[in-house]
Amino acid sequence: MFRRVGLVAIVAVAATLAIVASAAARPASPATASASCSSPVQIGMMAPITGPVSSIGDDQLHWALFAVSQWNANKANKVKLKIVQGDTQLQASLASTVAQQFASNGSIMGVIGPAGSDEVQAVAPILKKAGLAFASGSATRVSLTSGSDKGYFFRDVPNDGVQGPTDAAYMTSKLGVKSGDTVMIVDDQESYSTGLADIVGPALQAKGVTVDRESVSQKATDFSALVAKITSSVKVVFLPFQVASEAQLFAQQAQAQGKTAVVFGSDGTFDSKNFTAGNYVSFFAPDVTTIAADNAVVTAFNKKFPGGTSPFGAPNYVLAQMYGAAATKACTAEKGKITRAALRNAFAKVSLPTTILGTPVKFSATGDLAGAKFHIFKIVNGKYETVQ
Amino acid sequence: MNWNLFLTELVSGVTHGSVYALIALGYSMVYGILKLLNFAHGDIYMVGSFIGFGLITVFGGAEALSTSIWLLLFLMFFCAMLGGGLLGVLIERFAYRRLRNAPRIAPLITALGVSFFLENAALLVLGAQYQSYDTFAWKGGELWRKGFTLPAGVHVALAQIIVVVGAVVLMVLLTLFVQRTQLGKAMRATSFDREAAAMMGIDVDRVIVATFFIGSALAGAAGVFNGLAYQQVWPYMGFQAGLYAFIAAVVGGIGNLPGAVVGGLVIGLGQAFSIGYVSSTFSDAIVFAILIVVMVVRPSGVLGRAAVQKV
Repeated sequence: MFRRVGLVAIVAVAATLAIVASAAARPASPATASASCSSPVQIGMMAPITGPVSSIGDDQLHWALFAVSQWNANKANKVKLKIVQGDTQLQASLASTVAQQFASNGSIMGVIGPAGSDEVQAVAPILKKAGLAFASGSATRVSLTSGSDKGYFFRDVPNDGVQGPTDAAYMTSKLGVKSGDTVMIVDDQESYSTGLADIVGPALQAKGVTVDRESVSQKATDFSALVAKITSSVKVVFLPFQVASEAQLFAQQAQAQGKTAVVFGSDGTFDSKNFTAGNYVSFFAPDVTTIAADNAVVTAFNKKFPGGTSPFGAPNYVLAQMYGAAATKACTAEKGKITRAALRNAFAKVSLPTTILGTPVKFSATGDLAGAKFHIFKIVNGKYETVQ
Repeated sequence: MNWNLFLTELVSGVTHGSVYALIALGYSMVYGILKLLNFAHGDIYMVGSFIGFGLITVFGGAEALSTSIWLLLFLMFFCAMLGGGLLGVLIERFAYRRLRNAPRIAPLITALGVSFFLENAALLVLGAQYQSYDTFAWKGGELWRKGFTLPAGVHVALAQIIVVVGAVVLMVLLTLFVQRTQLGKAMRATSFDREAAAMMGIDVDRVIVATFFIGSALAGAAGVFNGLAYQQVWPYMGFQAGLYAFIAAVVGGIGNLPGAVVGGLVIGLGQAFSIGYVSSTFSDAIVFAILIVVMVVRPSGVLGRAAVQKV
C-alpha cells in the first residue's frame, strides 16, 4: 500500500511540474512579434468570401490582391506585401475565429477587414489585444470609431452618421417625400441595420415625415405579410439590409402585390447582380468604372479578375496601398524590421493625395475617413446609375 | 375594416402555413410510429429545395428556361420527393434503426447529429452562397403575373396557388393512403401499438421505412414549394423552417396528421396576421406565445388526444 501511495505521489508531483513548466515556457506574445522587411510583409484579409454576400467578399479580396500585385510589381517599392486570406461569411462568430488565427500568426502585421459592422465589434478585442491594426473598407456603423479602438481600427469609407442624413435628405429633396407622408423603414435585426435605421428615422421625423418602423429576421424570405402593410401613404420603403438578395426578395414581393412605393436600399444592399428590383441604393464609394481617371486601373483589374466588379472593391484597393505605404515607413524607421506597433502607428498617419476613389484619403483622429461622403445610385433596368 | 390588408395576410398565411403543414406532417408521422422527434427532417426539406434548384440550373437557369414551366415543375417535384424520400430511408437505416429500443435521449441526440451532418455536408458540397429559384424571371414572370384577383383587389399569384393547391393535394393523397390502403392501415396499427402490430404479422420494419419515405418525400416537396414562393435556398434554411414546422406539429397534436395540417395553418396565419396587425418585430414572439397557450390549455395539442396509460 505504501508503495502504491508513493507511486501516485511521484506521478502527481511530476504532472504538476510539467504543467508549471509548460505554463512558464510561453511563446513570445504575438503583440510583440516582428518580421524582417526582406520578406513580404503579410497582411491578413478578412472578407465574406463565401456565404450570402460572397459577391462582395470576392470583390473586396480581388481588389486587395490586385493592389498588392501592382505594389509588388513596382520596383520602386522595396518592401513587398502578401495577402493572407480569411473567410468570415459575414458571420461574427466565424470572424472571431479568423481573427484568432491572424492574432496568433506572428507573421501577420496588419489586417484588412472585416467587412461587416457586427464582425468588427466581434474581432476588435482580439485584434486589439494582439496589437494589430485593422481597417475596413465597408463597415459603416458609427460607434465603431467611438473611441475604444482608437489607433487600432480604421476605415476608408464614411460611416452611417453620413449615410443616414444623406439618404433622408435625398428622400425629402429628390423623391418628393414631404411632411405628412410615410416612410417605412425595415431593419433586419442586425446591429448595422438597426443602427442605420435609428439614424434615418429621426432625420425624417424631424421634417414631419411619419416613420413606420418594422423589423424582420435577416434569414426571412417571406415578406408578403409585411408588404401588405404598404399603403398609398407610404412613399418610400427604406431597407437597411446587409444581404442584397433579401432586399431583392422584398422588392419583388412588393411588385407582385402591385405596390408603387419607392424601394430604397442602403449600402448593404449594393449589389448589381442581386439587387435589381429596387429603385435606389446608397453607397459609401463611387463607382470607379465611371471615373475617367481610373480607366487604366479598371482595365488592368478586369484583365486580372474578369467577371465584373462593384464599388465594394475599390476601398480595399486603397487600404492595401495604404498598408504598402505604411510598411515602407515602418521598415525604414525600424531599419529593416517591422513590428505590429510600428505598422499600426505608420498606418494611422498615411495620407494618399490621389486615389481611385476620386478623393484623397487620410484618417481622422478617430480612424474615420476625413471628408467622407455617400453616393446615391438609381437602379434603371437592372443597372446602377450615379445620381448623387 | 381594411379588406385588402386582411385578405393579403390571409393569402400569405395560408401559403406559408401550407409549407409548414407539409413539413409538420413528416414530423407527426415519424413521431406517431417511433415516438422520435426527427430533427433532421428540416434538413431533408433543405435538400429537396436544392434538388429543385439543381433542376432549374440543368434546364438553363431562371432567366433562360429551355423547357415549359409545367414540365419543369413536375420534374422538380418528382425528383425532390424521390430524393427526399430516399434520404429519409437512408437516415432511418443508418442512424435510427439500431436505436429503436434505446432510451429516448439516444435517438434524439442522433437526430440532432444527423441534422448538423446534413447541413455541413450541404455547405461543403454546395457552398455557402445563397441560391435563388428566381421564379420572377421564369418565362417573363408568368408565375407571378397570372393568377386571379380576390375582392378588394388582392392578386393571388399562380405561384401561390400552386403551393396551396399542391399542398392540399398531397395532404389529401396522404389521408387517402393512410385510410384506404393496406400499408396505411399497417401504419396506423403500428403507431397505436408497435409490439401488437408485429405480433399480428405486420412487418414493422417495412412500415417504418415507408413512413420515413413518405414523410421525407413530403418535406422534399415542401422544399420546392418554398423555393417557388420565396426564392432563396441555402444550407441552413432547414433549421428555421423545421423549428416552425415542429411547433406546428406540436400545436396540432404531435402524432396526429390532421393536427399537423391545422398546426401549420395556425402558425402560418399567426405569423401573417401578427405582422399585419401587431408588429413584424413581435411576430416570432406571438408564434411562440400561441405554442405556450395551446400547451397550457390543451397539452395534447388542438386535435391531439391525451395518451391513456394503463396501470
